[in-house]
Amino acid sequence: MRSILQGKSVRLSAIDPEEMGKAGSNWNRDSELDRFLDSRAASLLSVKATKDYLEKELEKEEAGSFWFSIRRSEDNQLLGEIGLGVVHWNTSDAFVDLSIGERDLWGKGFGTQAMNLVLEFAFTEVNLCRVTLTVFEYNPRAIRSYEKAGFRHEGRLRGLLSREGKRWDVLYMGILREEWQEHNKSKA
Amino acid sequence: MRDLFRGELVRLSGEDPETRAKAEVRWERDTEYHRLADGDPAQLWSEKKMKEWMEKRMQRENLHEFSIRSLADDRLIGAIGLFVDWPHKDAWVGIGIGERDLWGKGYGTDAMRLILRYGFTEMNLRRISLALHAYNARAQRSYEKAGFRLEGQMRQDQLKEGRRSDTVFMGLLHEEWLAMLAAQ
Repeated sequence: MRSILQGKSVRLSAIDPEEMGKAGSNWNRDSELDRFLDSRAASLLSVKATKDYLEKELEKEEAGSFWFSIRRSEDNQLLGEIGLGVVHWNTSDAFVDLSIGERDLWGKGFGTQAMNLVLEFAFTEVNLCRVTLTVFEYNPRAIRSYEKAGFRHEGRLRGLLSREGKRWDVLYMGILREEWQEHNKSKA
Repeated sequence: MRDLFRGELVRLSGEDPETRAKAEVRWERDTEYHRLADGDPAQLWSEKKMKEWMEKRMQRENLHEFSIRSLADDRLIGAIGLFVDWPHKDAWVGIGIGERDLWGKGYGTDAMRLILRYGFTEMNLRRISLALHAYNARAQRSYEKAGFRLEGQMRQDQLKEGRRSDTVFMGLLHEEWLAMLAAQ
């Protein structure tokens, strides 16, 4: 069987708090990235604060929490992170969140590839029935990427976000196991 | 909708660690109970140790455990639990009726029917597995009545009083359980 954590140009690897602490603190300086990922007021975290946070999160060892760093295959460069968290085991659904930290690597398909890997992991390894995500209206690049990975639009929380004097929606997207199978059949 | 936690003879309950520890310590004094329910050597624990063990156990997120109370007099008579392997939607079930005067009267079978319904309709499991000692014929009959099928034996892995005996494996698939209910 082939490795399900290895894609064409990215691979998923374990989170190293030391490395990710440094990288995360650096990525975090870009307030645009912060606004894509979170609705709270952008904040700055030191290397130590980021590392401590990661260590605590990793220590929890929750059975339904799958968290990977994203690396470029050709040179092993750390690109970002992706996490899959089971919400309810009895309904077999999970939330996914994804970020590519390096601004000059946005829009190059790395995120979409990482998402494809995690969807395959979710549906064939964890045997889930559904994966959900939320994305902000002002992040059309992410929305396109999720559409490409097979996610469908499901709903929106209207005007929840307030940025630069405008109100923006939070979008809900989801993909069912059958839809994922269909989506990948038509791609192949 | 029906009450998932109430059967014909028993109900499933959630108890404080103290209450369960008190009962467990009493049940474990009966070495026959221990040998029917467990493969480890019999030993006696203090109530404090049992309570601490219970507290830890209740935090395990893959373990869904209940106490069993008789409907007639609300007596705490045993325990039953599912240990779930979520990606495969399979669970191991364990059950014990601690009160010896209630053995062989259908209390365990009733509790097992409740946990099967809970496992298949609330947790949406695909399969439930169990293991028992070959010398526990009463338990095997009860499990058969609840719908379990014999799947295999681990031969002579148990040694009690100089005699070897098998561990027996039984299982029940979701569709088998549905077919059984439809036939009833």
